[in-house]
Amino acid sequence: MKGLSLTLTALLSVWCLSTGLAQSSEEALKPITRTYALKNVTIVTKPGQTILNGTVVVKDGLILNAGQNVSIPADAKIIPADSMFVYAGFIDALSNAGIPKPEVRPATGGTGGGGQRPTGVNPGTPPNDLAGIQPELRARDLIKPADKSIEDLRKLGFTNAQVSPIGKMLPGSSALISLGGTAADNMILKDNFAMISQLVGAQGVYPNTIMAVMSKFRELYKQAEQAKAHEKMYAANPAGMVRPEVDRSLQAFYPVLDKQRPICFVAPDLKSVYRVLAMQQELNFPLILGGLLQAWTLADQLKAKNIPIILSLDLPKMEKKEPAKKDSTAAKDPEMERLEKRRADEMKLYETQAAVFAGKGINFGFSTLNAKTADIREALRRMVKAGLKEDQALAALTTTPAAMFGVAQSLGTVEKGKIANLVVSKKSYFDEKSQIRYVFVDGNLYEFEAEAPAAKPGTAGAGKGAAPSDLSKFIGKWSYSIDAGDQVYKGVISLIDEGGKLGGSWTGSDGQSKPLSNPSLKGSELTFSSSVNMGQDIPLDFNITFDGAKFSGKVKAGDFGVFPVEGSKEPRD
Amino acid sequence: MKQFTIITCCLLLVLGLNAQITKGSLLIKNGTVLTVTKGTLEGSDVLIENGKITKIGKGLTAPAGTKTIDATGKYIMPGIIDAHSHIALDAINEGTNPVTAEVAVGDVIDPMDISVYRALAGGTTASHAMHGSANAIGGQCQTIKHRYGTLNPNDYPMEGAPRTIKFALGENPTRVHGIGRGIMPRTRMGVEFVIRKSFTEARNYDAAWKKYNAEKATKPTALPPKYDRRLEALADVLNGNILIHCHSYRADEILMLLNVCKDFGVKKVCFQHVNEGFKVAPELAAFGASASVFADWWAYKFEVYYSTAYNAAILTKNGVVTSINSDSGDYIRHLYHEAAKTQYYGGLTDDEALALITINPAKQLGVENRIGSLEVGKEGDVAIFEGHPLSVYGIPVFAIVDGIVRFDRANDPDDMRLDVDPIKATTNFQMATGRHDHDRCMQGVQELMEELFQLKN
Repeated sequence: MKGLSLTLTALLSVWCLSTGLAQSSEEALKPITRTYALKNVTIVTKPGQTILNGTVVVKDGLILNAGQNVSIPADAKIIPADSMFVYAGFIDALSNAGIPKPEVRPATGGTGGGGQRPTGVNPGTPPNDLAGIQPELRARDLIKPADKSIEDLRKLGFTNAQVSPIGKMLPGSSALISLGGTAADNMILKDNFAMISQLVGAQGVYPNTIMAVMSKFRELYKQAEQAKAHEKMYAANPAGMVRPEVDRSLQAFYPVLDKQRPICFVAPDLKSVYRVLAMQQELNFPLILGGLLQAWTLADQLKAKNIPIILSLDLPKMEKKEPAKKDSTAAKDPEMERLEKRRADEMKLYETQAAVFAGKGINFGFSTLNAKTADIREALRRMVKAGLKEDQALAALTTTPAAMFGVAQSLGTVEKGKIANLVVSKKSYFDEKSQIRYVFVDGNLYEFEAEAPAAKPGTAGAGKGAAPSDLSKFIGKWSYSIDAGDQVYKGVISLIDEGGKLGGSWTGSDGQSKPLSNPSLKGSELTFSSSVNMGQDIPLDFNITFDGAKFSGKVKAGDFGVFPVEGSKEPRD
Repeated sequence: MKQFTIITCCLLLVLGLNAQITKGSLLIKNGTVLTVTKGTLEGSDVLIENGKITKIGKGLTAPAGTKTIDATGKYIMPGIIDAHSHIALDAINEGTNPVTAEVAVGDVIDPMDISVYRALAGGTTASHAMHGSANAIGGQCQTIKHRYGTLNPNDYPMEGAPRTIKFALGENPTRVHGIGRGIMPRTRMGVEFVIRKSFTEARNYDAAWKKYNAEKATKPTALPPKYDRRLEALADVLNGNILIHCHSYRADEILMLLNVCKDFGVKKVCFQHVNEGFKVAPELAAFGASASVFADWWAYKFEVYYSTAYNAAILTKNGVVTSINSDSGDYIRHLYHEAAKTQYYGGLTDDEALALITINPAKQLGVENRIGSLEVGKEGDVAIFEGHPLSVYGIPVFAIVDGIVRFDRANDPDDMRLDVDPIKATTNFQMATGRHDHDRCMQGVQELMEELFQLKN
């Protein structure tokens, strides 16, 4: 019997082994060594401190040594890094990386299109998930290690991020994670770091407006105080006392009430910052302000209050003005020029915010929340161009967030004993032509190909030889909405493959389906013309750029002006 | 502990997160002073020091360095007050529930709204920023001073002004909740029921807190009622700490609310719009209720057909404290014209007509001791007109708030925006069309309904 069992165990283990092998053969091969040596590299050990011609040795996930005259272990894979710079891996101080978007459950079924009847949710008393009140959710439980957003951030040099659940006013608690790994639990550096909150109303149900969100926030806060006190009294002496009502959303506030956990409030615009500060003053919770875009006028006050600050990397971009018609004989409009200058000046204020904060000696981190991956490095460069010193930018990406998250002993600098989270770039990271070649997360190497300085795909010059672009990702139905100031026009654009070219039709606000004339696709940019009858025929020129399952762009409506248009792919029927 | 709190409060004040209202000094010389409450003074001066009117008379002098405005040939009147507006707000209607007494528009003030500057350009220096009329009991409103130029929303509320709340009767709440969602209130009876039920709940809630506070010291198992901001606010309405401003049109529903107020001991109520107010003017006067009306605007929905341009005059002659409001970012720029219409329709005197847009709205907002007339000791909120304000040739040339010039027709730059969108390319400006076929009270509701019922998709 014993022999049989041993045999079985042996068999089982062989089976396990083979399955394991089969699995790993589908994944990347395990590295031969986890010891690396970056040779002849410029080490930016911390903001303002550089070692030329240095060596960084990485072993078993840690920085074994960094400096000049460093001995290289025999098992090290040597990476020649001449003319390269190595920095501590960047920390995204507030992000949704790795967190899938929650499925939207409609508050009510429409009476139109879908043919559903309202599901019976009273908009005044919706369940917590519809109301956006889920502070009990944890990023840790939601992280998808294989989510592309993690890889996207890593490619930019980020090795860590405070990630927040996605939602409305109280989406849950954040975690500081490593941007690499296969198991969510093992990626966590700090669990339940902050309670995330934002002044964002629920769709179609209470709290819908910001004023209701603010009221509800205050109510929950006070109710949590009551519930906590009740629990405490009950624990001390339950005899004759009503049993406490248990509410996980209120319980999620307890660490905040104890000042053990901050609330990280996302407040992009100035008015939101004022509103959050007003509530903080009333309720006195520990606060981190996240995703600031427009708070330069409050820099002194924020400094005096010593509130940790996370600035947004989602810098606004100026829309280009449509070039004047060539046949236009009208002289330049001086008023229009003044207004455009005012707009440009305003944009400068956004770009200069980081420099203003740094100039006042305020430490801050950066958030990639809502920023497009492709714009993030550009945003950093714009800030540097607007006066933020490279050292200050680097501090905002490394040492400041490391301190903010209480992990300065293990992250933030290129020093012996720290976690081997590194970013290696050809040329200085802030140089326009720099390229990221290597990123280490927990000592694991991610290598990126050197980009050829070739033409971008789709631009002129790519020429005939270019492979036909893959149309499959564009084909299908796309809902669009045109924001014409006082009115929004909605409808559907249907794209089909017309013999290797993109074609199709669209439905205008007049309900007519019309073919797209002269559709032209360059890369992910589509232009086409059509017209819509609104009493008179108005010619329309669309120029849209696809980004995954979304697109955005502009539509020129004859002489009526140019309006933003955006849309998203409709799920297949 | 208390001392500590006080010190903390002082510190916070110093840090500038609280409002720091800037106040100014100003000498306005040699104009026709329309005090509204104390007659008209020719060739007189008004001296404002540190935000307050300190002297009115002839040949006044001011300390050296005080800014001076020569008002020779001009008219000096109290800053116009709009008892019903929705400007300077980022949200109007929390239309998701028939009762939302807990929300407050004071939380969502938008100091960058260009409408505030436009209002100043019409001599309007203060307004009652109101919640909308989607709900039977809407949110709390905010009396604001038009301190345009600050980016701090906390600078806008008129410090110490009584709290107010929006109620709404008739078609708006029954359309949104009854027709829209098939819930109470579907009828005018339902509106009354919703209000009575809410008041009753609030009374019980208040009593439960009183009971808890009385016994908590001696009874260790005593528990407080669950904190409820809606009932807190409604209890404050019942206790007289929040004044009701009720959107209403028809005489029957106006009398209904008077009865409800009587039953629950509510003493102060101001009816807004109140197009059929002329039918129940004696009843309003007997109750001590006030009325805030349009000069001549009606027929934008069924319940607003039975109307007259004599409404304001009839109410006034019956002793009802009456004001004329805008409910619009457009009309707020020429409330003086609106007031003048009552002289054509009803023959009100200059002072009676001016009172409709100055001291009377001040009374309705509970700030008549501070603004609404030119009197020594009152706050330095002043409008200066070229031509008499009740004349069609009247042009506002200065608007002054707390002694600070916030609108100067001759010298202000063309571009007075505080908020410039850096993203969108500048296109030809289109002034809001001033469409006035629908009350702004319902702003935001259409979008909410579309969101709810996915009408747009």
